[in-house]
Amino acid sequence: MKYIKRDWKPGDADEWTKEDWITIIISPLCYILLMIGTVLSFLLNVLGFILLAVGIFLTWFMHWVIDPKLKVISNEYEKKQHEYLEKLERNARWEEIHG
Amino acid sequence: MIEFQFLDWFWVVLFLLVTVGLGVAFYRLGKRSESDFFLAGRELPWWLPASSVYATHTATDTPIWVTGVVYKYGVAGLWYTFFAAWCAISAFVSTRIFRRSLAYTQAEWNTIRFHGVGAEMLRGWISGWQVFMNMFILGWVGIAMGKVCEYLFGWDLWIGLVLFSSLCAIYVLAAGYWGVIMADFQQGIIAFLMIIIVSVWGIMAAGGPTVIADKLTTMGEAWRMNPFAFTGWFSGEFPVAWFITMMVIAVIGGFGMGTSIDWYVEAQRIQSAKSVRDASYSIWWGTALVLTRNSIWAAAVLAFYVMFPNITSQSTYEMGWFRLGFEYLPVGLIGFFFAAIIAIHISTIASHLNLGAMYFTRDLYLHYFKPKASEKELVWVGRVATLILLLGSFFYGLMMEDITSWLIFALWLMAAGVWLPNILQVVWWRFNAWGYLSAWIANLGISWLVVWILPHFNIIPSLPDYQQFWLLMLLGALIFLPVTFLTKPEPMEHLIKYYVQARPIGWWGPVKREAEKLGLLVHVELNNKEVKK
Repeated sequence: MKYIKRDWKPGDADEWTKEDWITIIISPLCYILLMIGTVLSFLLNVLGFILLAVGIFLTWFMHWVIDPKLKVISNEYEKKQHEYLEKLERNARWEEIHG
Repeated sequence: MIEFQFLDWFWVVLFLLVTVGLGVAFYRLGKRSESDFFLAGRELPWWLPASSVYATHTATDTPIWVTGVVYKYGVAGLWYTFFAAWCAISAFVSTRIFRRSLAYTQAEWNTIRFHGVGAEMLRGWISGWQVFMNMFILGWVGIAMGKVCEYLFGWDLWIGLVLFSSLCAIYVLAAGYWGVIMADFQQGIIAFLMIIIVSVWGIMAAGGPTVIADKLTTMGEAWRMNPFAFTGWFSGEFPVAWFITMMVIAVIGGFGMGTSIDWYVEAQRIQSAKSVRDASYSIWWGTALVLTRNSIWAAAVLAFYVMFPNITSQSTYEMGWFRLGFEYLPVGLIGFFFAAIIAIHISTIASHLNLGAMYFTRDLYLHYFKPKASEKELVWVGRVATLILLLGSFFYGLMMEDITSWLIFALWLMAAGVWLPNILQVVWWRFNAWGYLSAWIANLGISWLVVWILPHFNIIPSLPDYQQFWLLMLLGALIFLPVTFLTKPEPMEHLIKYYVQARPIGWWGPVKREAEKLGLLVHVELNNKEVKK
């Protein structure tokens, strides 16, 4: 079994799994690397180019990890969205008491 | 003062015609329903709300603020802008949860997550506060434009404030969020392009990157190129303790909703995205653009520092990036630069006009005043609310003096005492409406006490902002935790409905087990089997 799961089924995708936690850890790192890498690259600093390249790679990797899961979550949720929207409207208009 | 030539005015007029015209062109879509007027029918691909996230958070005062902190602290000053990184985790956690709730606003989300009178009180409070806050933000962004026009043309402050906000209001009134999002896309492209052009032009005017680095070294200011140039662990104006606090606030804050005042703007973009996936990417990529834009600015500000190293007046050096554009760009491009400034200005104004109007229309008018209102009526109420916000912003704008201190104080005040409750409401099933409400009330009192009143009477010393944060968080917890445990949890039936729909992260074990007992999550597993077949 591969360490990173990429073939998701609707029920599994709704759970919070290690793929989410990998994304949660990598995502702030991407921002830090892109931010610092960009400013130093504009100053033609070699370290800046390296940091920027690592930031771009990690951004790609993060998407590679989480995208299959997000697609399945989205597709499954869209099926129920209409029903949930109707409920939301009834709630906003006091036609359904919460609970 | 700057003298514009014909070509400069040509760019400005052309831009205004295109941007207002493009916004108004979506009039027919905007008037179809409340959902269209405020969320573009929830049908947007990720890159449209992403461009809006970027454009909205590129306001007239943003380059002033970024220039201020980078001129003062060097590249390390970028960490002041890193608060935007709450989206790093939020894009994949709270964004996903919020999008699944389908709430129009954060105020509405409170009645989905919580229950009964407490939830309604929260909805009323958050919506009223957001109507006020958006008017306030419109005022402070608007007056920044007044200052830019005063600097450029010698106009009275009110002219820049009133003129450009009013032009923007034309398409917001006509097409609502459709107008906002379409104009934002176009404005975002123009603004990003011009930010790169002006910054590169400024860097070259200073002699190029290598010369800037050499000059900084010669001046004994090479530390300005070090992103980790702090003034000590706890000492100085920019200590490591501040940096760690900021990282906690920004990064961990992504688990919550409302840990940054920007959340309320982003929440609208999240709900306007056509799917959970589109919502996540819109927030992540919009913020990535914001952070890289700040970096480009920072490089240009170092160029400005090399050329003008001894400015002590904050209000003077804060205008540094604008000066690079207006003093070094050739004729013709200056007008294009001013058009880009108008773009970054009105993209922010448009977003806050529509957002404030949405809180008024959806949460106050529809929910509390007239629940039977028709879709047509709601669109019109949205327009009237937009107009009221516009007029109110003129009043607030003319009241404000120092942009930076207001901005930092407002960010800090909103982040501190309710930061932890904003996370707990997402990740902990037992946290209830009364706990959250008590945190808000306590924060309003405690923050003023800790920041202003007690130091004024020498009861406590005037603390650095990062120490204020921890103290406010601790004092707030001493109130909201007992209140939470002394009041009943939300009804299990209500929590189960929320859990099944939103699937929140964190400590929701008891709710999940009850949902499984009722077969509400087994249903998903049955679907799985069907899929497997």
